[in-house]
Amino acid sequence: MVQISLPEKSKVKKGKYFKDKTGSKNLKKINVYRWDPSTGENPRIDTYEVDMDNCPSKVLDVLNKIKNEIDPTLAYRRSCAHGVCGSCAMNMAGKNGLACTTPHADIDGDIDIYPLPHLKVKKDLIGDLDGLYKQYQSIEPWLKSSSKSEVTEIFQSKEDRAKLDGAYECIMCACCSTSCPSYWWNGDKYLGPAVLLQAYRWIIDSRDEERQARLKKVADELKLYRCHTILNCTSACPKGLNPAKAIAEIKKMLATANI
Amino acid sequence: MENRPPISPHIQVYRWQISSLVSISHRITGIINIIAITLICLWLSLIFLSESKYETINLLLNSLAGKFIILGITWSFSFQILSEIRHLIMDLGYGFELRTTKISGLIVIFGSVILTIIFFIIGKSFI
Repeated sequence: MVQISLPEKSKVKKGKYFKDKTGSKNLKKINVYRWDPSTGENPRIDTYEVDMDNCPSKVLDVLNKIKNEIDPTLAYRRSCAHGVCGSCAMNMAGKNGLACTTPHADIDGDIDIYPLPHLKVKKDLIGDLDGLYKQYQSIEPWLKSSSKSEVTEIFQSKEDRAKLDGAYECIMCACCSTSCPSYWWNGDKYLGPAVLLQAYRWIIDSRDEERQARLKKVADELKLYRCHTILNCTSACPKGLNPAKAIAEIKKMLATANI
Repeated sequence: MENRPPISPHIQVYRWQISSLVSISHRITGIINIIAITLICLWLSLIFLSESKYETINLLLNSLAGKFIILGITWSFSFQILSEIRHLIMDLGYGFELRTTKISGLIVIFGSVILTIIFFIIGKSFI
């Protein structure tokens, strides 16, 4: 359901202020969403003054600096730091992206950092993505073909292989799904851009033999047609993919195919 | 007390994009249009009832508030027409590149204002 305001226990309060101790002249204020599961208090925004003269270029570097030098209690996911693993997906300056590929110089003024929107928060910037992974599982994201092809190579033409471009590169960081208002209000039923892009990836794979069944499965008022081309997904994708177009292609297939 | 996890902020913090703005406006103008069509039907029925009722409505629509409502409805229809064309093109699978969505969104926003003026001028020439 559409729900504009946050529940009482989710309302964000003002938090602590960490004043700069380095004496640097080039300071930036970083406002970070914090929630500690052990206290039972409301989430809060902590503000850190960070010395930008001694800080590498990306938002993740700023967070690392805060964790290493100012406040070790800050929790966030990160791993590869090169835009490959998708762990450090978060909401920066009002837009979802990967902290490791977003330059802090691109953000004017204070930097606001929140977890991915409309998720159950586990701690600080870590959101609960279990629901999304379950939905991913539901589209059966693996190749389905008859037994004979299990022993031989399945050939694919260059043209058929090219159809997967723009779909297989997805790293499942959830930036797109959590940027989608439709997914906020109906995330329990609507599959969301990330999962639908993957559904599309298997539907158009020339080697897959369950195309019809896959299409039938996804053809659902709530699972698919909750996409209203708001296009937040495409503008959020840190890999430059286009989930909105993939969803439109699925809709087109369903409108023209006989199933 | 049970320590239930909070929901992370969503619409409160997410920055508006041109495409999301056009999308929500499409919905809002859609609702306005349904109400407007109902009112226009009511108005037409009243014309058939008597001249005095027609005069009352005429006076009402010529007041400042009435003019504002008429302009508002004209804009709402203009917006809906353009936005719907944009949606139809998208349903055919075109115009999903980020740049294109931005441009088509801006065309809808500014075009709706221009279309409102055109409709208004055409309407004026009938009176």
